[in-house]
Amino acid sequence: MIFGLEFPPIENLVEWPNVFGPEGSWYGFNKIALINFVALAATTVLFLVAGRSKGLVPKGARNLVESGVAFIRDGIIMETVGKDGIRYLPYLVSLFFFIFITNIFEVIPFFHMPGNARMAGPAVLALITWVYFIAVGLKHQGLKYFWNSVAPPGVPKALLPLVIPIELLSTFIVRPFSLAVRLFANMLAGHILLVTFSVLCITLFSATLLALVLPFSFAMLVGLTGFEIMVAFLQAYIFTILAAVYIGSSMHAEH
Amino acid sequence: MLASILATAEAVSTEITQVAETKNPILPTVNEMFWAAVFFLLLWALMKFVLLPPITKVMNARDEKVRSDLQAAEAAESARVSKLAEYEAGLAGARAEAGALLEAARSEGDAERRTKIAAAEADAASFKAEASTAVADAKARARTELTASITDIAVGAAEAVVQKPIDRAAQTALVEDYVNRSGSQN
Repeated sequence: MIFGLEFPPIENLVEWPNVFGPEGSWYGFNKIALINFVALAATTVLFLVAGRSKGLVPKGARNLVESGVAFIRDGIIMETVGKDGIRYLPYLVSLFFFIFITNIFEVIPFFHMPGNARMAGPAVLALITWVYFIAVGLKHQGLKYFWNSVAPPGVPKALLPLVIPIELLSTFIVRPFSLAVRLFANMLAGHILLVTFSVLCITLFSATLLALVLPFSFAMLVGLTGFEIMVAFLQAYIFTILAAVYIGSSMHAEH
Repeated sequence: MLASILATAEAVSTEITQVAETKNPILPTVNEMFWAAVFFLLLWALMKFVLLPPITKVMNARDEKVRSDLQAAEAAESARVSKLAEYEAGLAGARAEAGALLEAARSEGDAERRTKIAAAEADAASFKAEASTAVADAKARARTELTASITDIAVGAAEAVVQKPIDRAAQTALVEDYVNRSGSQN
Protein backbone atom coordinates (compact mmCIF):
# COMPACT_ATOMS: atom_id res chain seq x y z
CA MET A 1 0.00 0.00 0.00
CA ILE A 2 1.37 3.43 -0.95
CA PHE A 3 -0.74 6.16 0.70
CA GLY A 4 -3.71 3.85 0.50
CA LEU A 5 -3.05 2.97 -3.18
CA GLU A 6 -3.05 -0.73 -3.95
CA PHE A 7 -0.19 -1.00 -6.44
CA PRO A 8 0.42 -4.33 -8.18
CA PRO A 9 3.85 -5.98 -7.80
CA ILE A 10 6.24 -5.23 -10.68
CA GLU A 11 6.26 -8.83 -11.94
CA ASN A 12 2.49 -8.58 -12.41
CA LEU A 13 3.07 -5.74 -14.90
CA VAL A 14 5.65 -7.40 -17.11
CA GLU A 15 5.38 -11.17 -16.76
CA TRP A 16 2.83 -13.14 -18.70
CA PRO A 17 1.82 -16.79 -18.51
CA ASN A 18 2.44 -19.04 -21.48
CA VAL A 19 -0.37 -19.56 -23.94
CA PHE A 20 1.21 -22.84 -24.95
CA GLY A 21 4.26 -24.71 -23.72
CA PRO A 22 4.96 -25.39 -20.07
CA GLU A 23 6.12 -22.58 -17.80
CA GLY A 24 9.91 -22.34 -17.78
CA SER A 25 10.32 -24.16 -21.11
CA TRP A 26 12.50 -22.62 -23.84
CA TYR A 27 9.61 -22.54 -26.31
CA GLY A 28 6.81 -21.26 -24.03
CA PHE A 29 4.69 -18.83 -26.07
CA ASN A 30 3.34 -15.89 -24.06
CA LYS A 31 2.04 -12.36 -24.69
CA ILE A 32 5.52 -10.99 -25.40
CA ALA A 33 6.10 -13.68 -28.02
CA LEU A 34 2.69 -12.84 -29.49
CA ILE A 35 3.65 -9.15 -29.69
CA ASN A 36 6.89 -10.10 -31.45
CA PHE A 37 4.92 -12.27 -33.86
CA VAL A 38 2.46 -9.45 -34.57
CA ALA A 39 5.42 -7.13 -35.22
CA LEU A 40 6.68 -9.62 -37.81
CA ALA A 41 3.22 -10.18 -39.30
CA ALA A 42 2.24 -6.50 -39.38
CA THR A 43 5.51 -5.46 -41.00
CA THR A 44 5.24 -8.27 -43.54
CA VAL A 45 1.64 -7.44 -44.45
CA LEU A 46 2.37 -3.73 -44.63
CA PHE A 47 5.32 -4.25 -46.97
CA LEU A 48 3.46 -6.82 -49.09
CA VAL A 49 0.50 -4.46 -49.54
CA ALA A 50 2.87 -1.59 -50.29
CA GLY A 51 4.85 -3.74 -52.74
CA ARG A 52 1.72 -4.64 -54.70
CA SER A 53 0.83 -1.04 -55.42
CA LYS A 54 2.02 0.01 -58.87
CA GLY A 55 3.00 3.35 -60.30
CA LEU A 56 5.68 5.84 -59.46
CA VAL A 57 3.47 8.02 -57.24
CA PRO A 58 3.19 6.41 -53.77
CA LYS A 59 -0.21 6.31 -52.06
CA GLY A 60 -1.63 4.76 -48.89
CA ALA A 61 0.43 1.90 -47.43
CA ARG A 62 3.13 2.40 -50.00
CA ASN A 63 3.47 6.03 -48.97
CA LEU A 64 3.87 4.99 -45.34
CA VAL A 65 6.41 2.28 -46.12
CA GLU A 66 8.40 4.43 -48.53
CA SER A 67 8.51 7.25 -45.97
CA GLY A 68 9.92 4.81 -43.40
CA VAL A 69 12.44 3.32 -45.81
CA ALA A 70 13.50 6.75 -47.10
CA PHE A 71 13.82 7.98 -43.52
CA ILE A 72 16.17 5.11 -42.65
CA ARG A 73 18.08 5.31 -45.93
CA ASP A 74 18.54 9.09 -46.07
CA GLY A 75 18.18 10.07 -42.42
CA ILE A 76 20.19 7.28 -40.83
CA ILE A 77 22.40 5.38 -43.29
CA MET A 78 23.49 8.28 -45.48
CA GLU A 79 24.15 10.42 -42.42
CA THR A 80 26.13 7.86 -40.42
CA VAL A 81 27.65 5.36 -42.87
CA GLY A 82 27.39 6.91 -46.30
CA LYS A 83 26.56 5.37 -49.65
CA ASP A 84 28.46 2.16 -48.81
CA GLY A 85 25.97 1.49 -46.03
CA ILE A 86 22.96 1.09 -48.37
CA ARG A 87 23.59 -2.67 -48.44
CA TYR A 88 22.65 -2.77 -44.74
CA LEU A 89 19.23 -1.22 -45.43
CA PRO A 90 17.28 -4.51 -44.99
CA TYR A 91 18.76 -5.09 -41.54
CA LEU A 92 18.20 -1.54 -40.33
CA VAL A 93 14.66 -1.35 -41.77
CA SER A 94 13.82 -4.66 -40.06
CA LEU A 95 15.29 -3.38 -36.81
CA PHE A 96 13.38 -0.10 -36.93
CA PHE A 97 9.99 -1.56 -37.82
CA PHE A 98 10.34 -4.49 -35.42
CA ILE A 99 11.28 -2.27 -32.47
CA PHE A 100 8.72 0.41 -33.29
CA ILE A 101 5.82 -2.01 -33.61
CA THR A 102 6.74 -3.95 -30.46
CA ASN A 103 7.05 -0.62 -28.63
CA ILE A 104 3.77 0.81 -29.89
CA PHE A 105 1.86 -2.06 -28.25
CA GLU A 106 2.20 0.04 -25.11
CA VAL A 107 -0.73 2.16 -26.26
CA ILE A 108 -2.72 -0.40 -28.26
CA PRO A 109 -5.96 -1.28 -26.45
CA PHE A 110 -6.16 -4.79 -24.92
CA PHE A 111 -2.39 -5.23 -25.25
CA HIS A 112 -1.05 -2.27 -23.25
CA MET A 113 2.37 -3.84 -23.02
CA PRO A 114 5.45 -2.84 -25.00
CA GLY A 115 7.31 -5.95 -26.10
CA ASN A 116 10.59 -4.28 -25.24
CA ALA A 117 9.62 -3.64 -21.62
CA ARG A 118 10.94 -7.17 -21.18
CA MET A 119 14.69 -7.57 -21.40
CA ALA A 120 14.53 -10.53 -23.80
CA GLY A 121 13.68 -8.56 -26.97
CA PRO A 122 16.24 -5.77 -26.52
CA ALA A 123 18.88 -8.31 -25.44
CA VAL A 124 18.34 -10.42 -28.57
CA LEU A 125 18.37 -7.41 -30.87
CA ALA A 126 21.50 -6.01 -29.19
CA LEU A 127 23.18 -9.40 -29.41
CA ILE A 128 22.35 -9.78 -33.10
CA THR A 129 23.57 -6.23 -33.76
CA TRP A 130 26.77 -6.97 -31.83
CA VAL A 131 27.45 -10.09 -33.87
CA TYR A 132 26.52 -8.25 -37.06
CA PHE A 133 28.84 -5.29 -36.62
CA ILE A 134 31.72 -7.58 -35.65
CA ALA A 135 31.01 -9.67 -38.77
CA VAL A 136 30.97 -6.50 -40.89
CA GLY A 137 34.30 -5.47 -39.35
CA LEU A 138 35.85 -8.86 -40.08
CA LYS A 139 34.52 -8.77 -43.63
CA HIS A 140 35.94 -5.32 -44.36
CA GLN A 141 39.18 -5.38 -42.36
CA GLY A 142 39.87 -9.03 -41.66
CA LEU A 143 41.37 -9.94 -38.31
CA LYS A 144 42.96 -6.49 -38.11
CA TYR A 145 39.48 -5.25 -37.23
CA PHE A 146 39.96 -6.28 -33.61
CA TRP A 147 43.26 -4.44 -33.33
CA ASN A 148 41.91 -1.36 -35.17
CA SER A 149 38.91 -1.33 -32.86
CA VAL A 150 40.90 -1.30 -29.64
CA ALA A 151 43.84 0.75 -30.93
CA PRO A 152 42.45 3.32 -33.37
CA PRO A 153 44.96 4.50 -36.00
CA GLY A 154 46.68 7.74 -35.01
CA VAL A 155 46.71 7.15 -31.27
CA PRO A 156 50.23 7.71 -29.83
CA LYS A 157 51.89 4.46 -28.74
CA ALA A 158 52.40 5.79 -25.23
CA LEU A 159 48.63 6.06 -24.79
CA LEU A 160 47.87 2.54 -26.03
CA PRO A 161 48.00 0.89 -22.58
CA LEU A 162 45.30 3.29 -21.51
CA VAL A 163 43.26 3.32 -24.73
CA ILE A 164 43.18 -0.42 -25.43
CA PRO A 165 41.29 -1.46 -22.25
CA ILE A 166 38.89 1.47 -22.62
CA GLU A 167 38.15 0.72 -26.29
CA LEU A 168 37.93 -3.01 -25.64
CA LEU A 169 35.39 -2.40 -22.93
CA SER A 170 33.39 0.24 -24.79
CA THR A 171 33.32 -1.48 -28.19
CA PHE A 172 32.79 -5.12 -27.29
CA ILE A 173 31.20 -5.07 -23.84
CA VAL A 174 29.41 -1.78 -23.26
CA ARG A 175 27.87 -1.38 -26.71
CA PRO A 176 25.48 -4.37 -26.61
CA PHE A 177 24.62 -3.72 -22.96
CA SER A 178 23.93 -0.04 -23.51
CA LEU A 179 21.83 -0.80 -26.58
CA ALA A 180 19.72 -3.35 -24.73
CA VAL A 181 19.42 -1.55 -21.42
CA ARG A 182 18.54 1.83 -22.98
CA LEU A 183 15.63 0.38 -24.94
CA PHE A 184 14.44 -1.89 -22.16
CA ALA A 185 14.67 0.73 -19.38
CA ASN A 186 12.89 3.43 -21.37
CA MET A 187 10.02 1.17 -22.33
CA LEU A 188 9.71 -0.33 -18.85
CA ALA A 189 9.73 3.12 -17.26
CA GLY A 190 7.03 4.34 -19.65
CA HIS A 191 4.96 1.23 -18.99
CA ILE A 192 5.21 1.67 -15.22
CA LEU A 193 4.22 5.33 -15.55
CA LEU A 194 1.12 4.49 -17.58
CA VAL A 195 0.19 1.68 -15.19
CA THR A 196 0.68 4.04 -12.23
CA PHE A 197 -1.68 6.65 -13.60
CA SER A 198 -4.17 4.02 -14.76
CA VAL A 199 -4.27 2.48 -11.27
CA LEU A 200 -4.55 5.95 -9.79
CA CYS A 201 -7.50 6.79 -12.05
CA ILE A 202 -9.26 3.56 -11.08
CA THR A 203 -8.64 4.22 -7.39
CA LEU A 204 -9.83 7.83 -7.64
CA PHE A 205 -12.99 6.78 -9.46
CA SER A 206 -15.05 6.73 -6.26
CA ALA A 207 -17.85 8.61 -4.54
CA THR A 208 -15.45 10.40 -2.20
CA LEU A 209 -13.78 13.78 -2.38
CA LEU A 210 -10.79 12.07 -3.99
CA ALA A 211 -12.79 12.03 -7.24
CA LEU A 212 -11.95 15.73 -7.58
CA VAL A 213 -8.35 14.77 -8.36
CA LEU A 214 -9.42 12.27 -11.01
CA PRO A 215 -9.46 14.74 -13.97
CA PHE A 216 -5.84 15.70 -13.31
CA SER A 217 -4.77 12.09 -13.06
CA PHE A 218 -6.69 11.27 -16.23
CA ALA A 219 -5.16 14.23 -18.05
CA MET A 220 -1.72 12.99 -17.04
CA LEU A 221 -2.63 9.52 -18.31
CA VAL A 222 -3.73 10.91 -21.69
CA GLY A 223 -0.64 13.12 -21.94
CA LEU A 224 1.70 10.29 -21.04
CA THR A 225 0.01 8.03 -23.58
CA GLY A 226 0.89 10.58 -26.28
CA PHE A 227 4.36 10.86 -24.83
CA GLU A 228 4.80 7.09 -25.00
CA ILE A 229 3.93 7.09 -28.71
CA MET A 230 6.79 9.53 -29.19
CA VAL A 231 9.08 7.42 -26.99
CA ALA A 232 8.19 4.30 -28.99
CA PHE A 233 9.32 6.01 -32.19
CA LEU A 234 12.33 7.68 -30.57
CA GLN A 235 13.68 4.49 -29.05
CA ALA A 236 13.32 2.65 -32.36
CA TYR A 237 15.17 5.49 -34.05
CA ILE A 238 17.93 5.60 -31.42
CA PHE A 239 18.51 1.84 -31.53
CA THR A 240 18.59 1.87 -35.34
CA ILE A 241 20.90 4.85 -35.66
CA LEU A 242 23.31 3.43 -33.08
CA ALA A 243 23.33 0.11 -34.92
CA ALA A 244 24.12 2.03 -38.12
CA VAL A 245 26.91 3.94 -36.38
CA TYR A 246 28.43 0.71 -35.06
CA ILE A 247 28.21 -0.94 -38.48
CA GLY A 248 29.74 2.13 -40.11
CA SER A 249 32.57 2.20 -37.58
CA SER A 250 33.31 -1.45 -38.32
CA MET A 251 33.65 -0.78 -42.05
CA HIS A 252 36.54 1.66 -41.79
CA ALA A 253 39.61 1.44 -39.58
CA GLU A 254 39.80 5.19 -39.09
CA HIS A 255 36.51 5.31 -37.21
CA MET B 1 25.91 -26.91 18.47
CA LEU B 2 25.90 -29.16 15.42
CA ALA B 3 22.14 -29.18 15.43
CA SER B 4 22.15 -25.40 15.51
CA ILE B 5 24.58 -25.18 12.57
CA LEU B 6 22.54 -27.69 10.59
CA ALA B 7 19.35 -25.74 11.31
CA THR B 8 21.02 -22.51 10.18
CA ALA B 9 22.34 -24.16 7.03
CA GLU B 10 18.91 -25.52 6.25
CA ALA B 11 17.35 -22.12 6.78
CA VAL B 12 19.94 -20.51 4.48
CA SER B 13 19.42 -23.22 1.90
CA THR B 14 15.67 -22.70 2.01
CA GLU B 15 16.14 -18.96 1.61
CA ILE B 16 18.50 -19.44 -1.34
CA THR B 17 16.01 -21.79 -2.99
CA GLN B 18 13.22 -19.27 -2.47
CA VAL B 19 15.34 -16.48 -3.95
CA ALA B 20 16.25 -18.67 -6.91
CA GLU B 21 12.62 -19.55 -7.44
CA THR B 22 11.54 -15.90 -7.32
CA LYS B 23 11.58 -14.57 -10.85
CA ASN B 24 13.60 -11.45 -11.47
CA PRO B 25 11.48 -9.24 -13.74
CA ILE B 26 14.60 -7.56 -15.10
CA LEU B 27 16.39 -10.65 -16.37
CA PRO B 28 15.47 -11.98 -19.84
CA THR B 29 13.74 -15.33 -20.08
CA VAL B 30 14.88 -17.99 -22.52
CA ASN B 31 11.50 -18.52 -24.17
CA GLU B 32 11.02 -14.80 -24.89
CA MET B 33 14.56 -14.53 -26.26
CA PHE B 34 13.95 -17.57 -28.44
CA TRP B 35 10.77 -16.21 -29.99
CA ALA B 36 12.19 -12.68 -30.36
CA ALA B 37 15.21 -14.12 -32.18
CA VAL B 38 13.06 -16.34 -34.40
CA PHE B 39 10.64 -13.59 -35.39
CA PHE B 40 13.28 -10.93 -35.88
CA LEU B 41 15.59 -13.17 -37.95
CA LEU B 42 12.59 -14.23 -40.01
CA LEU B 43 11.64 -10.61 -40.57
CA TRP B 44 15.22 -9.78 -41.56
CA ALA B 45 15.31 -12.61 -44.09
CA LEU B 46 11.90 -11.67 -45.49
CA MET B 47 12.92 -8.03 -45.63
CA LYS B 48 16.11 -8.81 -47.51
CA PHE B 49 14.70 -11.21 -50.08
CA VAL B 50 10.96 -10.55 -50.37
CA LEU B 51 9.66 -7.36 -48.77
CA LEU B 52 12.20 -4.65 -49.49
CA PRO B 53 13.29 -5.32 -53.12
CA PRO B 54 9.98 -4.23 -54.75
CA ILE B 55 9.91 -1.09 -52.61
CA THR B 56 13.49 -0.08 -53.31
CA LYS B 57 13.07 -0.99 -56.97
CA VAL B 58 10.23 1.51 -57.38
CA MET B 59 12.03 4.10 -55.23
CA ASN B 60 15.17 3.75 -57.33
CA ALA B 61 13.12 3.91 -60.55
CA ARG B 62 11.46 7.09 -59.29
CA ASP B 63 14.80 8.56 -58.25
CA GLU B 64 16.18 7.67 -61.66
CA LYS B 65 13.15 9.24 -63.39
CA VAL B 66 13.44 12.37 -61.28
CA ARG B 67 17.16 12.52 -62.07
CA SER B 68 16.60 12.01 -65.82
CA ASP B 69 13.71 14.51 -65.84
CA LEU B 70 15.93 17.02 -64.09
CA GLN B 71 18.68 16.38 -66.60
CA ALA B 72 16.16 16.78 -69.45
CA ALA B 73 14.90 19.99 -67.88
CA GLU B 74 18.47 21.25 -67.52
CA ALA B 75 19.19 20.31 -71.15
CA ALA B 76 15.99 22.07 -72.27
CA GLU B 77 16.99 25.09 -70.23
CA SER B 78 20.46 25.08 -71.82
CA ALA B 79 18.87 24.77 -75.27
CA ARG B 80 16.52 27.62 -74.44
CA VAL B 81 19.40 29.80 -73.28
CA SER B 82 21.41 28.87 -76.35
CA LYS B 83 18.44 29.59 -78.65
CA LEU B 84 17.84 32.87 -76.89
CA ALA B 85 21.50 33.81 -77.29
CA GLU B 86 21.33 32.77 -80.94
CA TYR B 87 18.14 34.79 -81.46
CA GLU B 88 19.63 37.79 -79.71
CA ALA B 89 22.80 37.46 -81.77
CA GLY B 90 20.66 37.27 -84.95
CA LEU B 91 18.62 40.21 -83.80
CA ALA B 92 21.76 42.19 -83.08
CA GLY B 93 23.15 41.23 -86.53
CA ALA B 94 19.90 42.25 -88.22
CA ARG B 95 19.89 45.49 -86.29
CA ALA B 96 23.51 46.14 -87.27
CA GLU B 97 22.71 45.28 -90.89
CA ALA B 98 19.65 47.51 -90.86
CA GLY B 99 21.75 50.30 -89.34
CA ALA B 100 24.43 49.81 -91.95
CA LEU B 101 21.84 49.82 -94.74
CA LEU B 102 20.24 52.92 -93.30
CA GLU B 103 23.59 54.59 -92.96
CA ALA B 104 24.54 53.61 -96.52
CA ALA B 105 21.21 54.88 -97.83
CA ARG B 106 21.65 58.05 -95.85
CA SER B 107 25.20 58.52 -97.16
CA GLU B 108 24.03 57.76 -100.68
CA GLY B 109 21.16 60.19 -100.31
CA ASP B 110 23.50 62.82 -98.93
CA ALA B 111 25.95 62.26 -101.74
CA GLU B 112 23.18 62.45 -104.33
CA ARG B 113 21.79 65.52 -102.68
CA ARG B 114 25.22 67.09 -102.66
CA THR B 115 25.74 66.12 -106.31
CA LYS B 116 22.38 67.54 -107.31
CA ILE B 117 22.96 70.69 -105.33
CA ALA B 118 26.36 71.05 -106.93
CA ALA B 119 24.87 70.45 -110.37
CA ALA B 120 22.10 72.93 -109.65
CA GLU B 121 24.61 75.41 -108.37
CA ALA B 122 26.74 74.84 -111.45
CA ASP B 123 23.70 75.28 -113.66
CA ALA B 124 22.74 78.42 -111.77
CA ALA B 125 26.28 79.73 -112.05
CA SER B 126 26.28 78.91 -115.74
CA PHE B 127 22.93 80.63 -116.21
CA LYS B 128 24.17 83.52 -114.16
CA ALA B 129 27.39 83.73 -116.19
CA GLU B 130 25.46 83.52 -119.42
CA ALA B 131 23.04 86.16 -118.20
CA SER B 132 25.90 88.34 -117.05
CA THR B 133 27.57 87.93 -120.40
CA ALA B 134 24.32 88.75 -122.17
CA VAL B 135 23.77 91.74 -119.91
CA ALA B 136 27.36 92.88 -120.46
CA ASP B 137 27.01 92.38 -124.21
CA ALA B 138 23.68 94.22 -124.22
CA LYS B 139 25.15 96.91 -122.07
CA ALA B 140 28.19 97.19 -124.34
CA ARG B 141 25.96 97.23 -127.36
CA ALA B 142 23.71 99.79 -125.81
CA ARG B 143 26.67 101.89 -124.80
CA THR B 144 28.16 101.66 -128.28
CA GLU B 145 24.83 102.53 -129.85
CA LEU B 146 24.31 105.29 -127.30
CA THR B 147 27.81 106.62 -127.82
CA ALA B 148 27.26 106.57 -131.58
CA SER B 149 23.87 108.25 -131.30
CA ILE B 150 25.11 110.85 -128.82
CA THR B 151 28.18 111.42 -130.99
CA ASP B 152 26.00 111.82 -134.07
CA ILE B 153 23.61 114.17 -132.27
CA ALA B 154 26.37 116.09 -130.56
CA VAL B 155 28.51 116.35 -133.70
CA GLY B 156 25.43 117.33 -135.80
CA ALA B 157 24.39 119.89 -133.21
CA ALA B 158 27.88 121.26 -132.89
CA GLU B 159 28.40 121.41 -136.68
CA ALA B 160 25.05 123.21 -136.88
CA VAL B 161 26.22 125.71 -134.25
CA VAL B 162 29.68 126.36 -135.57
CA GLN B 163 28.70 125.89 -139.20
CA LYS B 164 31.72 123.91 -140.05
CA PRO B 165 32.67 120.21 -139.86
CA ILE B 166 34.05 118.98 -136.60
CA ASP B 167 36.61 116.24 -136.00
CA ARG B 168 34.33 113.30 -135.58
CA ALA B 169 36.93 110.97 -134.13
CA ALA B 170 37.90 113.45 -131.41
CA GLN B 171 34.25 114.04 -130.56
CA THR B 172 33.62 110.38 -130.48
CA ALA B 173 36.47 109.93 -127.97
CA LEU B 174 35.05 112.72 -125.81
CA VAL B 175 31.57 111.23 -125.87
CA GLU B 176 32.90 107.76 -125.04
CA ASP B 177 34.86 109.15 -122.16
CA TYR B 178 31.78 110.94 -120.90
CA VAL B 179 29.57 107.90 -121.26
CA ASN B 180 32.13 105.72 -119.51
CA ARG B 181 32.38 108.13 -116.62
CA SER B 182 28.60 108.37 -116.40
CA GLY B 183 28.28 104.59 -116.53
CA SER B 184 30.80 104.10 -113.79
CA GLN B 185 28.75 106.35 -111.48
CA ASN B 186 25.59 104.10 -111.91
